[in-house]
Amino acid sequence: MEVMELIENNMRAMKMFDTFLKVPEISVGMTPSEVVYTEDDMRLLHYTPVVKKPHPVPVLIVYALVNRYYILDLQPDKSVVKKLLEDGLDVYIIDWGYPSGIDRYLTIDDYVNGYLDNAVEKVRELSGAEKISLFGVCQGGTFSVMYSALHPEKIRNLATMVTPVDFDTDDGLLHVWAKSLDADRIVDAYGIVPGNLLNAGFLLTDPFGVLIDKYVGFFEKIEGNGEGEDGERRNEETVMNFLRMEKWIFDSPDQAGEMYRQFIKDCYQKNLLIKNEMMLNGKRIDLKNITMPLLNVMGQYDHLVPIAASRPLNDAVASTDKEIMIFPTGHIGMFVSGKSQKEICPKISSWLRTRSGKDRSQTGKGRRNSR
Amino acid sequence: MNTENADLQTSHEFFERWLKAYESTYGRIIDMPTMGPSREGVDRLRKNFEATVNMQASWAESLSGFQSAFMEATRRTQEKVEKLGAHGASPSSYKAYYDIWMETYRETFKEFLKSKFFASDLAKLTSNSMDFQKSSRILIEENFLRPANIPTQTDMDDLNKEVYLLKKQVKELARELRKSAK
Repeated sequence: MEVMELIENNMRAMKMFDTFLKVPEISVGMTPSEVVYTEDDMRLLHYTPVVKKPHPVPVLIVYALVNRYYILDLQPDKSVVKKLLEDGLDVYIIDWGYPSGIDRYLTIDDYVNGYLDNAVEKVRELSGAEKISLFGVCQGGTFSVMYSALHPEKIRNLATMVTPVDFDTDDGLLHVWAKSLDADRIVDAYGIVPGNLLNAGFLLTDPFGVLIDKYVGFFEKIEGNGEGEDGERRNEETVMNFLRMEKWIFDSPDQAGEMYRQFIKDCYQKNLLIKNEMMLNGKRIDLKNITMPLLNVMGQYDHLVPIAASRPLNDAVASTDKEIMIFPTGHIGMFVSGKSQKEICPKISSWLRTRSGKDRSQTGKGRRNSR
Repeated sequence: MNTENADLQTSHEFFERWLKAYESTYGRIIDMPTMGPSREGVDRLRKNFEATVNMQASWAESLSGFQSAFMEATRRTQEKVEKLGAHGASPSSYKAYYDIWMETYRETFKEFLKSKFFASDLAKLTSNSMDFQKSSRILIEENFLRPANIPTQTDMDDLNKEVYLLKKQVKELARELRKSAK
């Protein structure tokens, strides 16, 4: 019986191998877009609208510096971007690029008041909108909060997703570990902090889950796909979906040293942002300056950015139109799960649409609009 | 698993004692002041040796912490399987056993990784590794690259800072120009 089981296992392994041999090269971020602005490593992408008259208030998505923006457009059936476009929104996104040695001295101020501000200006210029919607995700949400507090006159709506603002919590492992980390030593030793070092930290939050069980689950799914042509098609789909996630997880840009130092010390260790004590280039970030509508989206099982780190934002701002949405999913599930497509995106999109005017024909000032 | 338990405390104390014993014996020889024309170079070697010892000690301490967690997780898995066996419900396949193993390991390590011990171990290991990295770079740059007139990372950092400041100035001026043009 054991010999038979061994032979069967070998046959199964060969079948897996065969499936892998048939997989074409993977592609991510396939929604059509155009680069409308570049500055150093940063690119601003404008997605081609899919409706005749998109809503006049454009949405600028700001993703984190850790990992890449295309998680929001991983594949056609798992794309936050595509959903927003289909709902008639005019969508832009920032690709921060891959920092190199020359970027080691970039600070949070350079990102928020430099790159992000220039991107906002470009979106305003191209769309003709006086104010735009900012949709910040993860650390990109933290930057969006800082930006909205410093430049409220340019922001009509602020949506944040899995965004940490109150770092003084022990609910997430990253928050626990970061408190005793010596950021000065890390930055002084590396200059540019290796993305792989940070990634190792993320993997360590659940080592058995992400380094073993995930792969076992993947092979089980392939086995469950069955035989024949249908089975092969499903196998290819499963492998492609899995590899796209693998690509994203291990595509970790290095981090600008000074930005990293400041983020760890001022945010994770001193928790200055929520206390309205954080300074960027001599200017204090006062969250009470945020008066525009605010949507704060969180994941109930998010182990990277726990609810306790995001929820306090709504009490810290002066907005009267503010809402919290909590979904029963984890950090990544927010962007790529079935729930994301069916429930999370439509709700965010609806929130943005109702605050984005009727359609572009009402303004008609933007450069893109006159086409 | 009680991660504040004796296992971790004992290994922590063991490494602390080991380091103290080293510092009061061999460490003193390494710490001896150096003299002569090669004083600076030898001093850098000495500092690098010290950084290596500190890094190795914290590596060993971290590994010992992980080992304790592994042992605890294995003990718990065994306990669960024995309990199931006593009720006549032993895992009937590799997969059933794997599921118990995975669940127990994930739970146990979650506790371990959240413990104060792990957070302080991680911080110590990171700091000591960074010190080693920095001291190795300085050693290589000063003892080998600079005498051979080969540009170093420190030179590159100086240049990078110059470029960063210049770029920042240019961007600010361009912004001012745009404002005044409006």
